[in-house]
Amino acid sequence: MRAKNKKYFALAAFILVAIVVAVTAFVKLKGNNKEEKTISSVEDLAGSTIGVQLGTTADIYVADEYEGDDAGTNVVRYNKGTDAIQALLQSKIDCVMIDEQPAKAYTAKNSSLSILDEAFTEEEYAFAISKDNSSLTASINLALEELKADGTITSIINNYIGSEDEIGQTPYVKQDVSRENGKLVVATNATFPPYEYYENNSIVGIDIDIMQAVCDKLGYELVIEDMEFDSIITSIRTGKADVGAAGLTVTEDRQKNVDFTSSYTTAKQVVIVKSSDSDSSLSLSEKLYQNFIENGRYNYLLTGLRNTLIITFFALIIGIVLGSLLAIVRTTHDRNGGLTILNFFAKLYLTIIRGTPTMVQLLIIYYVVFSSVNVSKIVVAIIAFGLNSAAYVAEVVRSGIMSVDQGQFEAGRSLGLPYNKTMRLIILPQAFKNILPALGNEMITLLKETSISGYIGLMDLTKGSDIIRSVTYEALLPLTAVAIIYLLLVTILSALVSKLERSLRKNER
Amino acid sequence: MNDNEILIEVKDLHKSFDKHEVLKGISTTISKGEVIAIIGPSGCGKSTFLRSLNLLEVPTSGTITFEGNDITDPKINIDKMRERIGMVFQQFNLFPNMTIKENIMLAPVQLGKMTKEEASKKADELLLRVGLPDKSNSYPDMLSGGQKQRIAIARSLAMNPDVMLFDEPTSALDPEMVGEVLSLMKELAADGMTMVVVTHEMGFAREVANRVLFIHEGIIAEDSTPEEIFTNPKSERLKDFLSKVL
Repeated sequence: MRAKNKKYFALAAFILVAIVVAVTAFVKLKGNNKEEKTISSVEDLAGSTIGVQLGTTADIYVADEYEGDDAGTNVVRYNKGTDAIQALLQSKIDCVMIDEQPAKAYTAKNSSLSILDEAFTEEEYAFAISKDNSSLTASINLALEELKADGTITSIINNYIGSEDEIGQTPYVKQDVSRENGKLVVATNATFPPYEYYENNSIVGIDIDIMQAVCDKLGYELVIEDMEFDSIITSIRTGKADVGAAGLTVTEDRQKNVDFTSSYTTAKQVVIVKSSDSDSSLSLSEKLYQNFIENGRYNYLLTGLRNTLIITFFALIIGIVLGSLLAIVRTTHDRNGGLTILNFFAKLYLTIIRGTPTMVQLLIIYYVVFSSVNVSKIVVAIIAFGLNSAAYVAEVVRSGIMSVDQGQFEAGRSLGLPYNKTMRLIILPQAFKNILPALGNEMITLLKETSISGYIGLMDLTKGSDIIRSVTYEALLPLTAVAIIYLLLVTILSALVSKLERSLRKNER
Repeated sequence: MNDNEILIEVKDLHKSFDKHEVLKGISTTISKGEVIAIIGPSGCGKSTFLRSLNLLEVPTSGTITFEGNDITDPKINIDKMRERIGMVFQQFNLFPNMTIKENIMLAPVQLGKMTKEEASKKADELLLRVGLPDKSNSYPDMLSGGQKQRIAIARSLAMNPDVMLFDEPTSALDPEMVGEVLSLMKELAADGMTMVVVTHEMGFAREVANRVLFIHEGIIAEDSTPEEIFTNPKSERLKDFLSKVL
């Protein structure tokens, strides 16, 4: 970056941080007079604001029992359990209803949270498998029987949530067996300690260890796919994953969609409340250490950054190549007639892509188009964002071609140059120069749009900060950090584009 | 100029834009070595006629035969024909993304007429001929209008065309630059180039052309020598036109 750009970037980053800090401080000052409902027993739940994780048994339970009642109970649904906890810490909600073990893990890390003594009925955890794959269900059931009989499951569970002298004593060790049956793809949502969570950049937990033990028994290679909780059942149904292992409670609704193995453990729903207002007493440097350094958490951002850059780069190439082709089809048709069928499809393509949200396209490409094919998520994201970008690039290129004087075209043709050579040698280079600013804009949009990659469980930059957030319960630092990284990337990109622009303009007076 | 080999033959040429008929049946022949000036009031169809000769405008009906080939036949390779028909535009239409020399070399090299070396040599010759040898590495936007038009003529000449079409070549020029372009065209005519020139420069038509076509409302109203046209106009319409432009 040139010195001038550096200055701009520093200024922009400073303003960004200043805005975040100022608004945070303002809201903290103003926000405390909000009336908080204290919950000391289950009776107080009616009329309160309850946070749950979307699609969990707690969600189903509060929807049935409390939502829409006369007391005006409010249910707020979060994609992750940790998001609900964060909201509770910030007093946005009055309590969180969640499974007992994760609740214990959360409260252990936050002294200001506590669990109500009363618990709800016991429920059974099991693994979910597609209804089309009953042979897998049968063989996993058999494996679970053996693992229960030889005490493996008990020792795995005790290793995480046993008595104090049991915890950490009996970690499950992956066995050295032949894995001739190939991969077993297990879908999970790694924000649910102690069943599944991130530790030192990998996903661990009771469910993960049990699935590893099952794979060892059955001769599979375990592949973990981290995704949103409410996507797990869908990905099993569409064949994206073989097994769902995510502290899944057996419910009637779920049984309509998937089969369950026999239960491997039981759990209870509990209510977490905020018992004191003691704000986290960590200093800023401690927080920085906790969010970015401890356990090498910056690696989440680095891996995410790498993936974001890979996706953006290749999607950009697809977008420019495909977009230019579409634009040429469109302008050729408009100028000379002909290519009627191709033009029809090009227009249809533009209408569909520009008329639907990028996120929906990404989900369709992942869950529908590539449902039965085993393709890496990065490739899926590159294709989805590339196809999306092509539609926008096509219109930009088309406007560029139209902006080149018709006389240029006639001059080329009158010299005897065929249509395609005239296009390639004379029109497109001039069009490209004219549309460079608009193309730069599209690149920036694309780069930022890749932040929805997390929805297919891909670890991009934004998802990286999400994972940090889910472990540290701290929103400000990870989010500000990714905001600054995006800002830096966009600044570099803009600088490169204007540099290219200047060098192309040097031919002119 | 006494050789009468017919280069272009136009038969009953019609051209309509939507419902508006611009050319209403034009027939004429153009022989090798002729320098033809086309004059007429604006909107009479003279530019449309000229642009039909290399099919930049596709006629609605009628035929145009160039060196024995019917170029209105959809099956003909029009690019091959255009290689031998040079064209110079009112707005020059130089390629702004290329240097002057690249402008001149582009078509011969891309169409396999010359190697890069041959084209480069040819470009140097042409630049010398149009009097701009020092502009070789400049870009079009650095030149004056008159210089641009001289380069456009050189670019056309690089393909060694059999005929050159000029579409109001001096109309976009500042008055003091008209002379340099006209004198270059005069030289071309003297060298025996077949030329068809749509022009408002009556002086040029009178002095350089050996035949003048007066087009009025889509037909050739008069077709004669310059002397006849300018000193002895037959129709009222031509008299009226000349009284306005002279």
